[in-house]
Amino acid sequence: MFCFMLLAFAVSGHAAAQTPAKKSVVAKGAAPIDITALKSLGTKTAPITMEVFSDFQCPACRELYFQTVRPVIDNYVSSGKVYLIHRDMPLPMHPYSREAARYANAAARVRKMEKVVVALFDKQANWAADGNVDGVVATALTRAEMNQVRKLVRGGTLDAGIDKDAALGTQFRVTQTPTTIITHKGVTYPVVGVVSYTMLKTFLEQLLKQ
Amino acid sequence: MTRWLIFLGRVTVGFVLVYAAYLKLQMPWISFAATIQSYKLPLPDEAVMFAARTMPGFEMALGVLLLIGVQLRWVAAAASLLLLTFFAVLVRSYALGMNIECGCFGPGEQLTWKTLLRDGFLVLVSLAVTVGAFLTRRKTGAVPSMTREPQPADGRTE
Repeated sequence: MFCFMLLAFAVSGHAAAQTPAKKSVVAKGAAPIDITALKSLGTKTAPITMEVFSDFQCPACRELYFQTVRPVIDNYVSSGKVYLIHRDMPLPMHPYSREAARYANAAARVRKMEKVVVALFDKQANWAADGNVDGVVATALTRAEMNQVRKLVRGGTLDAGIDKDAALGTQFRVTQTPTTIITHKGVTYPVVGVVSYTMLKTFLEQLLKQ
Repeated sequence: MTRWLIFLGRVTVGFVLVYAAYLKLQMPWISFAATIQSYKLPLPDEAVMFAARTMPGFEMALGVLLLIGVQLRWVAAAASLLLLTFFAVLVRSYALGMNIECGCFGPGEQLTWKTLLRDGFLVLVSLAVTVGAFLTRRKTGAVPSMTREPQPADGRTE
């Protein structure tokens, strides 16, 4: 009897863990603008698509970005093997991550997202401590670009795009950041957490050989 | 009575190992590799990749062998060693306050005290099965199994 109780405990624990997170609220009224292409790098026809669900204030996301995503951009995106999409998944536990996501999305619209993403992750400790996201983004852009970005952020229309990404994450059962969804030949492979470039490279090469 | 307890114990541990392995085998090896890496153990990438590729299969094999009940002493000892290793890693991570996923049954389960309780209990059951299997063997010379007739003291079945 006790053993069966243990089995029930193990199975129910896992079933609960598999339950998708609460559906995020998509902003009503705001016209949803698909800026996926602006938040992507590489060519859409690449054999592999990598969607990285990330939170700018999450230290593990920073680690993944510099340790793994940057080399992937240099070696796989630039050679047309991987299509990389940034997906926003600001977690409620991080007070400034949504603000940072707004700035990144605004920068995407002025085609400067990569620069802003690098700045946000590079100086994560600074703005995470004082909330001065604007100041950090300003260091990565020209005055004219920054004015455009500020205008977009103040416009208040960027949350819809962020929520759309988060809703997509819910569909993929993303419960923590970073989570990378790798798609190859219609098959999706979720990778939760930080994975080293060496391991990801081995996996990508394995997929490319299929 | 002892034989029944050993039977229940090995079926429990065997089922849990098979279930855990089955879920891990549904995922690509890189998912499990990411989970192992999240524990921040001092292991080279090659070792993590090797573990990610082989451990689910090893778990499955142990689980199936436990369910069948062959070579019980050695299989139970191997299962106990594996579960003890998992448990030690879990305790270390929990003590370090690491906010990570357990990865015990694939992705999606945070490491909490409940995880430690469950895995700790599983370790105890596995150890009990191992000790019971060795003691039963010493007493009767037979493999404790509910599917076989007890063997005479001098009978060698392994």
